Amino acid sequence: MFVLLICACGSLMPVPEWKEKGARYLDEYTNSFLKGKELSSEPHFVKATREIAAGNDLRLLAVAYLTKYALHTASLERFDDSEFRKIERLEPDEADMAYCRFLQGNFAAVNASALPARYSGLLKAAQRKDVALAAHEISAIIDPVSRLVAAGVWVKHLPYDENILQTAIDTASASGWRRPLLAYLEKLHAFYLESGDTDKARAMRNRIELLKMEKDKK
Amino acid sequence: MTMSREYKVGLFIGVTAFIVVIALLYLAISKGVLERIHTFTLSSKSGEGFTEGMPVVFSGFNIGNVHSLELNDEGVVLIHIKVPDRHVKWVRADSSFVLYRPLIGSARIMVNTENLKSPPLNPRKIPEVLTVNDINDAIAKIEPVLDRVTEIAENIQIITRNLSDPKGDFHRVLGNAEKITSNFASKKSLVEMAVSDQESVKALNESLKKLKDITANIDRVLVKIDKMADKTDREIYGENGALPQINMILKDLVIKLKKLDKTVDNINSISTDASEGMKDLHILRSDIDDAVKSIDHVAKKLDGLIGTKKNPVFRVP
Repeated sequence: MFVLLICACGSLMPVPEWKEKGARYLDEYTNSFLKGKELSSEPHFVKATREIAAGNDLRLLAVAYLTKYALHTASLERFDDSEFRKIERLEPDEADMAYCRFLQGNFAAVNASALPARYSGLLKAAQRKDVALAAHEISAIIDPVSRLVAAGVWVKHLPYDENILQTAIDTASASGWRRPLLAYLEKLHAFYLESGDTDKARAMRNRIELLKMEKDKK
Repeated sequence: MTMSREYKVGLFIGVTAFIVVIALLYLAISKGVLERIHTFTLSSKSGEGFTEGMPVVFSGFNIGNVHSLELNDEGVVLIHIKVPDRHVKWVRADSSFVLYRPLIGSARIMVNTENLKSPPLNPRKIPEVLTVNDINDAIAKIEPVLDRVTEIAENIQIITRNLSDPKGDFHRVLGNAEKITSNFASKKSLVEMAVSDQESVKALNESLKKLKDITANIDRVLVKIDKMADKTDREIYGENGALPQINMILKDLVIKLKKLDKTVDNINSISTDASEGMKDLHILRSDIDDAVKSIDHVAKKLDGLIGTKKNPVFRVP
């Protein structure tokens, strides 16, 4: 009883405002980025980094930037890691470096023990260049954003198959994440064209045009 | 020996006559009377500008003149020129002949010889005379300029007519410019000028003023929630307690801010232009998102139990 009271009291300790706001803004940034609200998402990220920087916590700042890079990877986009590198020069961290290298597709240089556990299976598949294993590992990831990040890492850097693309499309569709959804649909369209499946490619193109039209409706 | 008077007179007349003849002969030779004259024939489509006696000029020097003009059976004008022997060397087979009619001065036939070593012109050959017409060329060049000047003068007339017309475009533009500057002077926002829906703009303007208050109030509420741990259950949870009242206020705020959200969406949809003004609206939109989310956050906390305030976890996705 006494222990519970102490725990309750402990949890009533005020959380620093910058930390709470930083986490909230980062969360908002993630949501608006994935939903494709391009112009209003960036201000959320700027506010997040501003709050975290006010707390003088470079580790959390690195996490914020890695989150941004991960979201770009999840949407099959390139990212510029210069900001993260500045932080790493001041306060190097093994886990952050491993994650960054993982996002960049530099699998050989990734410290497997420092990478989040949910990606370890995929790292093994990447080192073996095993597409079937990769498809299985990606679909086994529980968190949808992590699943998209894993799919993005694979598709950007290694040969992929229809299963991986379809997993990513299903994940993005289930959460209404427009930005990665359109990216993977385009990738699947290109995949059908390369494999000579013109009917599927045409159907995919029509689907993409329809979704874009709906998205642009005022 | 003495000469008779008749002999002396005869001798005198003879010598005088001889001297006169020599003088005349010298004069004749120096004037080229005894010089051989070469006749060449030139042709031209038109006899306009040619006159008998017209000089033939080479490098600015007279080397001959036009002797006669005639029309042949084909209607081509034949110009016969005479060139004395001393000047014939300037007239070669590849010489070109040009009728030059300057603006000032008399017309002349100019001979241009590029290669003085080419064979002499055959008198049977009939080269054509080209015409260079200073006057006509000048007129041809001036005519389009005059047309252009006339066009410009007409346009100036139209513009001045428009300028003086009180209902004309110019005055309307000035009137509109006046309205815009008076709007700026009366500190109306760009949004108000761009958006025709006055209601939305009014609501937006009022909300902008209140947004700061709202976020400040939210922060105050959050602080109060933290302090609620001190109060009794009745004071917090009871029907008239602080908790239900705060909840009602916050939920009302959320509804109002959601309406504001929609207004900004409408304004966003008017233009997709990424101008500075629109960037500010997007920043405003993100500010509104933040305000709505923070109220949601507070309301969720109140709907649950007061107590655990978790340390937010920062984790890479």
